[in-house]
Amino acid sequence: MNGNKLINRIATDRPLFLIGLNLALIVGMSVLRPDTFPTSGNAAVVLLDTAQTGILACGMMVLMIAGMFDLSIGGILAFSGIIAGLCVKYFGFPPIPAFLAGCLWGGVLGSINGVLVTRFKINALIATLATLSIYRGGLQLVSGAGVTNLGNGYTVFGQTQFLGIYSPFWFMAAIVVLFAFLVSRTRFFRQAYYIGGNARAAKLSGINVNRTVFIFFVIMGLLAGLAGALLASRLNTAVVLAGQGVELKVITAVVLGGASLSGGVGTIHGAFLGVLLMALLQNAMIIAGINPFWQLIVVGVVLLISVGLDQFARSSTRA
Amino acid sequence: MLRLSIRNVVKTFPGVRAVDDVSLEVEPGQVHALIGENGAGKSTLMHLVAGVYRPDSGEIALDGQNMIGLNEKATADAGVAMVFQERSLVGALSVAENIYAGRQPGNRCGVINVRQMQEGARAILSELEVDLDPRTTVALLSPGQQQMVEIAKGLSHELKLIILDEPTSSLTISEARHLFRVIRKLANKGVSIVYVSHRMAEIFEISDKVTVLKDGRVTGVRDTNRTNHGELISLMVGRELSFEPDKRRSDPSAKVALRLDKLQADRVRDASFSLRYGEIVCLAGLLGAGRTETCEAIFGVRPITGGVLEIDGRPFRPEGPADSMDAGISMLPEDRKDGGLFMDFSVQANVVAANLPAFTKNGLLSEAAMKVKASEYVQALRVATPDLQREVRALSGGNQQKVLLAKWLCRNPRILIVDEPTRGVDVGSKADIYRILRDLAGQGMALLVVSSDLPEVLALAHRIVVMCEGRVAGEIEASGATEISILELASSKASEPEKAA
Repeated sequence: MNGNKLINRIATDRPLFLIGLNLALIVGMSVLRPDTFPTSGNAAVVLLDTAQTGILACGMMVLMIAGMFDLSIGGILAFSGIIAGLCVKYFGFPPIPAFLAGCLWGGVLGSINGVLVTRFKINALIATLATLSIYRGGLQLVSGAGVTNLGNGYTVFGQTQFLGIYSPFWFMAAIVVLFAFLVSRTRFFRQAYYIGGNARAAKLSGINVNRTVFIFFVIMGLLAGLAGALLASRLNTAVVLAGQGVELKVITAVVLGGASLSGGVGTIHGAFLGVLLMALLQNAMIIAGINPFWQLIVVGVVLLISVGLDQFARSSTRA
Repeated sequence: MLRLSIRNVVKTFPGVRAVDDVSLEVEPGQVHALIGENGAGKSTLMHLVAGVYRPDSGEIALDGQNMIGLNEKATADAGVAMVFQERSLVGALSVAENIYAGRQPGNRCGVINVRQMQEGARAILSELEVDLDPRTTVALLSPGQQQMVEIAKGLSHELKLIILDEPTSSLTISEARHLFRVIRKLANKGVSIVYVSHRMAEIFEISDKVTVLKDGRVTGVRDTNRTNHGELISLMVGRELSFEPDKRRSDPSAKVALRLDKLQADRVRDASFSLRYGEIVCLAGLLGAGRTETCEAIFGVRPITGGVLEIDGRPFRPEGPADSMDAGISMLPEDRKDGGLFMDFSVQANVVAANLPAFTKNGLLSEAAMKVKASEYVQALRVATPDLQREVRALSGGNQQKVLLAKWLCRNPRILIVDEPTRGVDVGSKADIYRILRDLAGQGMALLVVSSDLPEVLALAHRIVVMCEGRVAGEIEASGATEISILELASSKASEPEKAA
């Protein structure tokens, strides 16, 4: 009885649960590895590690609240990095226009996803699985080996430090704060809840479902583009294999953060806490010297547990 | 001036003339009931008014303003609200945000003014006499409260016409009472109400005028106080139909097929009654009284936690539905789409689905034997289907119900449990199903029927067992029963201040 209630609480008040887990992990690791874990250097590493997933999680959370998702983000990310790299190295773009070109290219690829899902009514899973393959193939056609040694001042976006933490984290922090505000307080983004909760009813309430979902896909693309342009800047290289498997990490974090595969629920702060937990887990496993293959297994198990919580929450609210 | 005027509206879908030259007039402050069988075109007509569909021809006007060509949002802005049969709320959001779905008050940049939204919601809820905090999450509300939120949603902007589609189907009696008070209040303020329902009693209680639809056409418009039940039914079906009580009575000395003594299971607290061969016993009661749960316990779907269950005088404890099926019990579930039929399979495949071993020789299914059996049932139960291979999804609700019945009769049960035999079934098929059930009892089968439709209980039952909050509240012989006597028993416990847990 009591145990049930506890699980129920955990399943329904996800952010609180995640804060607890994050704290437990931090305290536990600080006690177990006082020399390596609770240092400012390690904190910076963990926070930097949240940058890419955190940026992507904002867009993914919006999509998942609306009952959609996007598997092609890894492809968009890598492709956008290549475009930014080509612009700066071969077309002689100054850093900022090249950076923006990378982001915009992400938006273009996102709009293709949006058109497939809203106009051609292709299931989001299939559509973005297909475009993932298309984008990955496309970017290798454009630049088989990637673009190395970008130079020309492009590294300023990814390699600047502020308060001891590299800039990608600050990009991510700004985006999370912005999206937390947008999703909780603006009419446009609140529409996601109505669409994911009951698309038909949303339509009858006067919400333009197709247009809104399309825009959500474009936003996801723009964010993936930003993540790609940032990564290229940070590495000073646009890597062809960038973002491989990132969709798994992002969806895991977002579902952990309270999203449901059927839509209608979730928050941006939940998504961020999910991202943070994943980064802490990974960091803890590295410090503890756990075999990297085990780390993959842990990611899978965490995804299963979070989906399990989602199922439990739904079965208990229905009863 | 007329509030709503529909003139000669036609709407066709591929192969169907859903609304055929319909005209309808609603005055300000009028409660106008719209009735008809399933598929009569009620819903389509209301969707045309709400701007979901566009008519092929004809005129629709609100306060003299043309409404054709407006989309859902524009009709809503013009003052039309539609409360649908299916819920349109988002569980994860607050009451206030559901009331203002997509139109939350805010500044020009689209940033929502939370306080203003909650104050607005609070004002609307208090006008509806609903005691709800606008900040509550909708998932935590009862169905009745959710229904009120749906109506509040309609009131969130200036309201001229509200369309209620089967609003009481999931409400308790007191919630329905509350709804009627609210409808009256709105009508007195000049709001027009179109009330779509097939519950006759409600129509006589709440409406001023009734329009009857059949096959997409208007078959009659009546002032409610100048018509009667029989006339409306005959307008709906185009012929007089009588659900007179069956004269045949079970033999009081017939053997007892099923006996429950203080049976307990989840949500069943104390169920005691018996059922003889050749008898129809109806389980009556309000929503959530434990009727379906009792049947599930008998059928082995719900674990029995205490008490005695006997079949033919021998104790019986099913471990699962297979045990009960072996003991000669068949059960038709409440929701034929969800738990009863394979909607995308053929009529034939559905009829044989629960009895595959009977058609299997040497491990192979015999197509010929299945065909014979299926066509036998299609004829006996008068299933209107072009052929045996037609998908069940393509049939009407009444014919689907008959296929479901065939599926379980195919096992030659001695005891048949039917949960809501005629929900969502047209009146014609209803009469057929009543006849079939009565004939089965006449042939000696023991029938246990769960129904929330009181006229149906009175028409079918030989004996009525009334349940309330998981207990049997009493038994009534059908000959002496009235709707009122059943309702009194069904709500007897609820009125006592006995909750001591």
